[in-house]
Amino acid sequence: MTDAVTAQEITITRVFEAPRELVWKAWTEPEQLARWWGPAGWTNPLETISMDVRPGGTFSVTSVSDTDGTEMTSQGVYREVVEPERLVFDEPAENAWHEGAVSIATFTDLGDGRTELVLHATIHTTDEMRAGAEAGMAGSLDRLAEHLS
Amino acid sequence: MTVDQLSTTFAALADPTRRAIMARLAQGEATVNELAEPFPITLQAVSKHLKVLERAGLIARGRSAQLRPSRLQGEALKEAADWLAAYRGFWEGSFDRLDEHLRDIQRRPRA
Repeated sequence: MTDAVTAQEITITRVFEAPRELVWKAWTEPEQLARWWGPAGWTNPLETISMDVRPGGTFSVTSVSDTDGTEMTSQGVYREVVEPERLVFDEPAENAWHEGAVSIATFTDLGDGRTELVLHATIHTTDEMRAGAEAGMAGSLDRLAEHLS
Repeated sequence: MTVDQLSTTFAALADPTRRAIMARLAQGEATVNELAEPFPITLQAVSKHLKVLERAGLIARGRSAQLRPSRLQGEALKEAADWLAAYRGFWEGSFDRLDEHLRDIQRRPRA
């Protein structure tokens, strides 16, 4: 089996009851990002957030579990910044549990005070990851282990 | 996986030491001492990592022996390895909160 990295894609679409400029700011101002980044049950301390919103700029957000204080950090690099309509960012593999992901967030003004946000993510995984996931057997786990180590 | 399970799994796998522990356990069960060996960290720190992995359902630990050897839980790992579901879960959860946040700031406009 080769260690080929394959891209898988997902698209998530949401309509928000807010003008596009507000949605854009929620994505690009640390004080606002802190309020929503990550699933429920996680808090993002403002002092852990750094964002340099321009092409080539980096971002880093550390989320702390409300239950037990466990931390997880999201890091990446902005590739395209087109205010207020398009944000493209990479998340490198070493900081995540995939082989790297590229996400494109598109903000569309619906003209009635609402904004449609489409997040299109291309996530790279390896055969090993999927084989481990599908088989769940010792051999595959060894391969997965090899990959994780 | 539910959002709660996802966030637990995320937290468990977000840490490089815990990923390394998972990798070691994939070769067979091991005690805390054995697991601590390759890392420049204390036994206590390893125990803490094991608790996180155990709570996430990624490993199981022996109950009877004092050494409490740890081993991987295949089924949980299978779910954990469902990268796409996890990634989607992260964003769906974030967008729920973004929706709330946007409503909130429009109710209370800042000066």
